[in-house]
Amino acid sequence: MNRCMVTTGFFVLGRCGRNPVTTCGSCGRPVCDRHVMPDGLCAECATARGYGGGDPYHPFWARGYRRTHYQRSSQAYGDSYYYSSFDDYDRGAFDPDDAYDPDYEPYDGNGYVDS
Amino acid sequence: MFWRKTKAAIGRFHPLHQGLVFERTLSATLRPADWDSLIASLAQHEAQVKRRKWALPPRVVTTLVPLIRVLSEDMAPTGTLGITADLRGPEAPGKAGPQRPLPVRRPVRSCVEWYAIDPWLRVRAELRDGSVLELAVVDRVRYRKIHKVNPRGKHKTKTKTKSAQRITASRVLAKGASIRRPGSPPPPWVAVKVRGTEAGTGGRPVLRSAAKMRDVPKDLTQAERILTVATELFRWTPPGTARRSA
Repeated sequence: MNRCMVTTGFFVLGRCGRNPVTTCGSCGRPVCDRHVMPDGLCAECATARGYGGGDPYHPFWARGYRRTHYQRSSQAYGDSYYYSSFDDYDRGAFDPDDAYDPDYEPYDGNGYVDS
Repeated sequence: MFWRKTKAAIGRFHPLHQGLVFERTLSATLRPADWDSLIASLAQHEAQVKRRKWALPPRVVTTLVPLIRVLSEDMAPTGTLGITADLRGPEAPGKAGPQRPLPVRRPVRSCVEWYAIDPWLRVRAELRDGSVLELAVVDRVRYRKIHKVNPRGKHKTKTKTKSAQRITASRVLAKGASIRRPGSPPPPWVAVKVRGTEAGTGGRPVLRSAAKMRDVPKDLTQAERILTVATELFRWTPPGTARRSA
């Protein structure tokens, strides 16, 4: 069964996984109503074309900034795997096992960092 | 002349937006959708408010909005994001420490030194993988006020400042989450601590990273810097490994 294959998250990556309503006119991936852009593109293809590129107020800014951040932080840490893992996840086939289990226990810690 | 239209426009802004305009502080714990409505209100500010006195603090655009956007991407719709921001700057009342005189020689008459500690940002985000991310940014500014008198009796006073910034990030992982040491160490300016991974404890692993910077950026690099320090916490849990093993 097809699912929306848009990569979601910034640090904690995942697949959207909702029911698709169309396919992206550029990459052909199934896209749900939440991630389809007015011109029929998926959010990532729209970001790649420069929508919401430099303005943090734009709703899609973080999606465009995500790849830039992974690239820069991978250089800062000298960790090419960090960027490649993002790249694999971004482009790889949809794997239902990669979805995060929302059934977690609430954190009952004592608030903000202490140092 | 009396800025009536501007006042009316500010009155229509989000209440937290108004707090940023008039008090330059923000303290709230909201869900991502509620933060979106605040950002939508902030986005109208520049078009509707021209008076410099009521301009948004620069760190709203360079730090707060990018961080809210990024962290909201990693949160479930029911998760909460708490932010406490004090954007009044290090010269706000109560942030300066005690003054102490320094030894001087002519033509300097006196030199007084003090430090201002400005903990201007604290963030707590409940991420969708069950972990909790906390960020804290503290600026420390050293002030030196120097009083000189030249041979003709002319007095000059100069104040010098030197800033440093400490960024702390911690991530409490979900119970039973597996972690693994990254293949490469972090850069020397990032310190890392890992706790709660001892066998048999069954607790929540806690990752902490901290960095001390020698300057305080004024532009978007501030948000980049905070996210770079936080990145270390996510290198220990590459995609697909942070979910519960049980």
